[in-house]
Amino acid sequence: MGQVEAHSAPGAQHAADDRASEPALIEAVHVTAGYDNRREHTRLIALRDVSLQVRRGEFLAIVGPSGCGKTTFINLIAGFVKPIEGSVRVRGEEVTGPGADRAMVFQDYALLPWRTVERNIRFAMENRRGHVPKAEQAERAARALRLVGLTGFEKSYPHELSGGMRQRVGIARALVTEPEILLMDEPFGAVDAMTREAMQAELEKIIAETRQTVVFITHSIDEAILLADRIVVISKRPGTIREVIDVDLPRPRFDEQADVQRSPRFGEIRSHLWSLLADEALGAKQEVATR
Amino acid sequence: MTETIQGATRTNDQQNGQQIESIEVSRFARFKNVGITVVNLAVFFVIWELVARAEVINSLFFPRASDMFAALFNGFADGTIWPQLSHSLTNFLIGLAISAAIGIPVGLLMGASKIADLILSPYVWAMTSLPRVALIPLLILIMGFGNSMQLTIIVLSAVFPIMVNCMAGVKTVEPSLVRAGVVFGASRLQIYLKVILPYTLPFVISGVNQGIARGLVGMLIGELLGGGGNGLGFLLDRAGEQFDAPMLYATLILLAVMSVGLVQAMRWLEQRAAPWRDISRA
Ligand SMILES: Nc1ncnc2c1ncn2[C@@H]1O[C@H](COP(=O)(O)OP(=O)(O)O)[C@@H](O)[C@H]1O
Ligand SMILES: [Mg+2]
Repeated sequence: MGQVEAHSAPGAQHAADDRASEPALIEAVHVTAGYDNRREHTRLIALRDVSLQVRRGEFLAIVGPSGCGKTTFINLIAGFVKPIEGSVRVRGEEVTGPGADRAMVFQDYALLPWRTVERNIRFAMENRRGHVPKAEQAERAARALRLVGLTGFEKSYPHELSGGMRQRVGIARALVTEPEILLMDEPFGAVDAMTREAMQAELEKIIAETRQTVVFITHSIDEAILLADRIVVISKRPGTIREVIDVDLPRPRFDEQADVQRSPRFGEIRSHLWSLLADEALGAKQEVATR
Repeated sequence: MTETIQGATRTNDQQNGQQIESIEVSRFARFKNVGITVVNLAVFFVIWELVARAEVINSLFFPRASDMFAALFNGFADGTIWPQLSHSLTNFLIGLAISAAIGIPVGLLMGASKIADLILSPYVWAMTSLPRVALIPLLILIMGFGNSMQLTIIVLSAVFPIMVNCMAGVKTVEPSLVRAGVVFGASRLQIYLKVILPYTLPFVISGVNQGIARGLVGMLIGELLGGGGNGLGFLLDRAGEQFDAPMLYATLILLAVMSVGLVQAMRWLEQRAAPWRDISRA
């Protein structure tokens, strides 16, 4: 078991390989990040010496045990967290804060409850940075809502919608700014299994259309394999990159005919990821036990 | 006002469009609650009347309901009540307005700025917990028995609960909403105006609600102990001295009506201000 060498799989030449020579869109160079506890004069290291490149148009998934620093990594790219050492660059430029080129989809949706769906989406276009002329806002909002399949719900309030629908609003709000990079932190973590699968299929379709670069955190191995071009496995805290796996499955993956989920290759990648993550889970347990 | 209720009969998640069905709401439904309240109050006063007539309790302490209503009617007719009621009400509303004008911005500032919180909170908490009555001698010393003393005690009573609630409101704003603001390009000011302020509004309103309750107490102690010779507190005091139980009860009823009226007005405002909050609670 576990002899699958996931990155050097022959066959299916991956599209991203063609662009390998192109400079990376997102680049983390020997990044160490953590949080200071001023009261106890300690510093918790969440990520240690992480180096990673994300290519333009790539869908990158990040998996790892909880608390391993996945959210920290996405927040580094978003510009919310500053590295202690190393640097995070987008298009070769050091990230110093949030920017219009990066939009975020939040696990808890983070919709303004007092605004209707349409006004929530307009929120992304009406602020100081990334302001869109009023006349254009309505048209763009309508387009984003069509893309996520929520036409007709413009006037609804978030509390009138199901979890899956709320997250579609979250996605539409991120897409409407036409960002180069879409950062998604466990976006489907709070929706039920059925809706989740439908939303994965929809996301694949949307991304195929908009061609965004996506960094996607998930707890679900299957979700990572189904969506990603590459999967980064992060080890338990302090998080380091354990392995990067190329997912050389054909797209679209949510096609009835393709039935990717039952293909042997899917199974291989899946069991490989399982063994990696089981190691991490076991390691964590042993650490507790020996204390 | 027509009653339409959005039906929960939305089609499948996947599908576009929504269905809103109007449903019939009986005309009587709206009056039902009012009806229940009227009957409830009528029964209350009838029982009061019967118990008082049985003379189980000395009528010096417990007058008949009918005598109380007579005192209320006569008081309005001969002009003993209205000037006092209007004095109290005016004072109270002015005091509440001053409290809101000071308490809301200071409270918001304390919630948003660590330094402001650090500097102001010892005083705010001390003033929030100090019994208002303790201030009366000092205030009389400074301001005498006049109106300004009564107004000051109302403000000192109402302003701190408003402040504390506003501060707490700002502190409970969900961090991910603020992050969403930052991600989607809002400036600091825009985050305050578009995220923090609307989020805090229900807290502001419940602060004002507490301010009303505390302010009424402040108003009464100012009038009872301040010796200004006016207001509902003065009416209570005088009725007590003259053993005029019907008038005493009539004044208490007026006070109850006044505070219930104010609280209801705030409740109405709350529903206007944050309908999303009410529905998401249900
Ligand atoms: N704001 C913060 N302050 C202090 N510690 C934090 C903060 N955010 C995260 N951490 C800690 O950093 C570690 C990594 O967290 P996170 O990046 O959220 O992990 P993940 O998303 O993989 O579950 C955890 O141990 C967490 O407790
Ligand atoms: Mg996380």
